[in-house]
Amino acid sequence: MFRKALLALPVALALGATANAQKAPEDVLQGLIDSIDSSYLTQSEMNLMMMPDSPALWLIDDGKDLFHEARGPNNVSLETCDFGKGPGVLEGAFVEFPRFFEDTGRVMDFESRLVHCMKTIQGFTDDDPAIRTKHGNAADITKLQTYVASLSNGHAWNPPMDHPMEQAMRDAGEVIFYRRAGTMDFSCSTCHAATGKRIRASVLPNSNVPEEWTKAVSWPAFRVGHDNVRSAQHRVGECYWQMRHAEPVWGGTGMTAIISYWNDRARGQPAILPDMKR
Amino acid sequence: MFKKTSLAAGVAAFAAFLFAGGSSIAAADEVDFTAMSAEELAEYIILESGGFHLDAAVQEGGTMRARMEQDDMQRACSVVGGGKPDAATLEAVRTAAAASITYPEGGIKLGDWQKGRELSWSGFGFRVGHRTDEHSGNRQPGGNCANCHQKVGDRDGGTLGPDLTGYGKARGTSDAMLKYVYDVIYNAHAYFPCTQMPRMGAQGVLTHAQIADIMAWLLDPESPVNQ
Ligand code: HEC
Ligand code: HEC
Repeated sequence: MFRKALLALPVALALGATANAQKAPEDVLQGLIDSIDSSYLTQSEMNLMMMPDSPALWLIDDGKDLFHEARGPNNVSLETCDFGKGPGVLEGAFVEFPRFFEDTGRVMDFESRLVHCMKTIQGFTDDDPAIRTKHGNAADITKLQTYVASLSNGHAWNPPMDHPMEQAMRDAGEVIFYRRAGTMDFSCSTCHAATGKRIRASVLPNSNVPEEWTKAVSWPAFRVGHDNVRSAQHRVGECYWQMRHAEPVWGGTGMTAIISYWNDRARGQPAILPDMKR
Repeated sequence: MFKKTSLAAGVAAFAAFLFAGGSSIAAADEVDFTAMSAEELAEYIILESGGFHLDAAVQEGGTMRARMEQDDMQRACSVVGGGKPDAATLEAVRTAAAASITYPEGGIKLGDWQKGRELSWSGFGFRVGHRTDEHSGNRQPGGNCANCHQKVGDRDGGTLGPDLTGYGKARGTSDAMLKYVYDVIYNAHAYFPCTQMPRMGAQGVLTHAQIADIMAWLLDPESPVNQ
């Protein structure tokens, strides 16, 4: 009870003013559950109960402090970072990734863009723990990402397709999604193209059902089984590992193509940020 | 006949052109992604752009690159958006699958269902990355059957494949039945071209003896599957 009260305040503050964003992540999920019959969305009663107390909510506040604090060799904040909607615009920015950036000449997923800003604005290098440490609640990248993502909670996924590069990456991601390879002949579609199927006890989300798929791609999420907040890149990596395929390079073209396609498949449906996964 | 072919010709030519200048790592950014078809770009991203750790060693020997290059079945059965290829392609896949199957010396026999129980449950093997499966004497790759098939026994199984509860009870152990189940485990495309079921024998995941053990788990009247 006490913990819940403590959490409510920073979350309410962080979530800002738009109508949708005033909803908590569990309310966004409940809205989806009410809209369709999905055994994936409802598979974990426990998680639904725990979401208001999700440890991911604590990271929002930490990430907010980190974001606005003068840091790095250049001793400046990230407030001038352009996530695509103009320097410093964070509201609704997360659901419009991946996106083409003129300054780098490539399509970037959110995490790559964040790292780009930490390097170019704050002067961090790959060897600094702020950038090197990518995993777990304690990583700066996890906190920063959870903060900025939370400012898109309840916003509809809307990755831009105006630039030909954005469309090209999305289309290549689609081909990769259906491309069978490896020891087990798996493609992503083996497990994510039908409704209500299970791998052992886990109900699989269907990429053809946007109301389901929005939860699937809503990362960062507190991963109960890992007791840590994980990003989209972790999930891509984990599924590739299960598939017995090669590991995608962090922030590389494979990651970006897959994430371009998967966010596009959730287009129009509200993001649950941060989410809680099994 | 079913051998790996290299990248789509266009992409190969494109890459050769790009890499010819001597700059060994032509940045992915320098390639015009928008000039390629989605298929060409996908191949480029996977095999040429440095987007995947293709140099990682794999359990069967060699590197990940070989796993990520598609063989003929994988290429024929990858249909963007889902569904199956045309009938002629399916027939080619089926014929090639049937030809891939090798049989144990002395014919197909049921092995030990208790070993088969563990093998059909185990999802160990061939995973590479943050944790890499070390195949060794006491830790050999499993059949993954329970990932996709429900009630192959007493534990929770998946539903990507049909429920196999009581499989042998309904079917018996005739020679025709033994051959059918052996073939399905070895290379299910011989009966279900472009199936999602992995080619456990043809891809070298399971040995003849292990297949015999798993068959016993499915067909032996003593097996809990058939109780
Ligand atoms: C062999 C089956 C399999 C394959 C192939 C597979 N996945 Fe998954 N995927 C899973 C399982 C199991 C989960 C966890 C689902 C759960 O906990 O309910 C999962 C989870 C996910 C999720 C997050 C949903 C969640 O609730 O955790 C996404 C998104 C996803 N996979 C995308 C992909 C992509 C992209 C690929 C191809 C690169 C892929 N998967 C390949 C089995 C698979
Ligand atoms: C990735 C999922 C997957 C895995 C792993 C898998 N199967 Fe299957 N299996 C299927 C599918 C799907 C079918 C249905 C064939 C079709 O129509 O494509 C099938 C069909 C079968 C059949 C034929 C059923 C019938 O109607 O006669 C048998 C027997 C079978 N599998 C046994 C096994 C065994 C034993 C293993 C482990 C060695 C296994 N499967 C692993 C997906 C899988």
